[in-house]
Amino acid sequence: MPESRSTPLAGQERFLAPIEETPLQETGSLDTSAPPESQWKEAWKDLRRNWLFWISAAMIALVAVVVIAPGLFTDLDPSYADLSKSLDPGSSGHIAGFDKQGYDVFARMVYGARASVLVGLLTTILIVVVGVMTGAVAGFYGGWVDSIISRIADIFFAIPLLLGALVVLSVINNLFPNRGEFGAIIAVVGALGLFGWPQVTRITRGQVLQVKNMEFIDAARAIGATKRSNLLRHVIPNSLAPVIVTATVSLGILIVAEATLSYLGIGLPPGVVSWGNDISAAQNQIRSGQRIGVMFWPAGALAFTALGFIILGDAVSDALNPKRRSE
Amino acid sequence: MWWYIGRRALQAIPVVLGATLLIYAMVFLQPGDPIKALFGEKPVNEAIRAAIEKQYNLDDPFLLQWLKFLGNALTGDFGLTYSQRPVSDVIGEAFPVTLKLSVMALIIESVLGIAAGFYAGLRKGKLFDSTMLIVSLVVIAIPIFVFGFLMQLIFGVKLGWAPITVGGDASIKNLLLPAIVLGLVSFAYILRLTRTSVTENLSADHVRTARAKGLSERSVNSRHVLRNSMIPVVTYLGADLGTLMAGAIVTEGIFNVPGIGNAAYRAILRGEGSTVVSIVTLMVLVYVVMSLVVDLLYAWLDPRIRYA
Repeated sequence: MPESRSTPLAGQERFLAPIEETPLQETGSLDTSAPPESQWKEAWKDLRRNWLFWISAAMIALVAVVVIAPGLFTDLDPSYADLSKSLDPGSSGHIAGFDKQGYDVFARMVYGARASVLVGLLTTILIVVVGVMTGAVAGFYGGWVDSIISRIADIFFAIPLLLGALVVLSVINNLFPNRGEFGAIIAVVGALGLFGWPQVTRITRGQVLQVKNMEFIDAARAIGATKRSNLLRHVIPNSLAPVIVTATVSLGILIVAEATLSYLGIGLPPGVVSWGNDISAAQNQIRSGQRIGVMFWPAGALAFTALGFIILGDAVSDALNPKRRSE
Repeated sequence: MWWYIGRRALQAIPVVLGATLLIYAMVFLQPGDPIKALFGEKPVNEAIRAAIEKQYNLDDPFLLQWLKFLGNALTGDFGLTYSQRPVSDVIGEAFPVTLKLSVMALIIESVLGIAAGFYAGLRKGKLFDSTMLIVSLVVIAIPIFVFGFLMQLIFGVKLGWAPITVGGDASIKNLLLPAIVLGLVSFAYILRLTRTSVTENLSADHVRTARAKGLSERSVNSRHVLRNSMIPVVTYLGADLGTLMAGAIVTEGIFNVPGIGNAAYRAILRGEGSTVVSIVTLMVLVYVVMSLVVDLLYAWLDPRIRYA
């Protein structure tokens, strides 16, 4: 018999390696000298090789700089209007020209970034915090807690986001007609968040249901972890991958949603410099074909920002998806 | 099967009740006197005030008001608008228009989205695939009303191929351009969903088996890859009808379509409580019914699923 082993069948030899050349010089054992890499490290390795990730990162970095320091990009005041320059196509120092009211279109685009990005960012944080907490508790504890949370989430999920946000904002308009710029932003964040969290709850709950039955959770319980610390230290961190993907894409989509609410005249009040308001104000110039540029700049900036976050979400999703990683 | 449908319908009841209560509370529990607002600067006539309070059940406790509204709604009586028109009339006129618009958008987006997504998935990484991927991302990132204005400008104003606004005549021909605009974002999502699903299915065992037993490429693709890739797409399409009808607020505004979105928007701005609550309830019902339909479609697409 030893002879037959040393001469493998034709076609099989390439599958066999001498024992000395295998990493551990042994069969049937695992390399335990170093812990396996976490899913985040593996994902980061993948992400670094994806050119789409670097493009989206650069886009988001540019938007971040504009939000933090708009003064770097323009010296002009976005709230200074000169009616005599109404719809002027522009001159030196005014590359995007003027809108109907005589505002500088480029300066308003630069300063409008702040309100739009702030709404997207704060709403995303709100729905992720609420969604992860409710979803994790529902999935982990189950029983009547799960029933109550899931039914409440169902109710908010069944009301369409745009319609629900419109009703909430009209109520807020009645209750607090003068709420200032920051109050206006908070109102939009609340209205979008109120109908946005159930999606995150559902995703987290589903993920927690899978994770809580895994062996390492049993192992943690066996070495004495309490239910609570198990949930906080093991279950939630291991359930976050799909939530992060959803949150990144949502950020882009919520920026678009804010613009839609402002376009409907019920989002941010006209006094706030925002892309949604500027696009909305430019609609008459589009209708009459006067100056398309007035809408192009804020709409382009909005699309650029949303695109950055959506592409980033796509890249992260690819990196975190074990099915696609093997390809 | 019938048992399953019955149970699902029962489960939907608390969702519908909760959603109406939520909207009802937001609309009607606001401080301020709506009757005083009706009279404007004139002094309030107490006899008329009493009549209005009786008509809208305003002197009942809040929960009773809500229950009376629900009870009436079950008999098809949704109350009156401020101009004393039955809300059911307003809905009866506007709902069919929006339904037509949304179904048209659904057909356009699903046919184009599935076809383009399927083709892109089969040629993963090729030029068509990359182009479609970029197109879909751009479509999702641009607000729908920007597309609306552009389409209106290009096809309505410049080329004159489509009416600029729809107005009173909501025929299929007039609704075509608004339907395309309405379906654009969903088209992008369906394209991406189909593509991902097709690429995953192409490397699945059952597809390899189908190839191995000698089926032609054409029948492998149509009977094994496409059909199995439809499962997530059908889920999306089911939920999408409700989203489209609610999202029609924007599209109907741009093209002046006399639909439910326009009616809802005007009612919200005017604070016309009963109309707002009725329309939102209707939207929730559409969503609930469509989720049930999707669940039942699953069994047809995936015979492994059985309802007990």
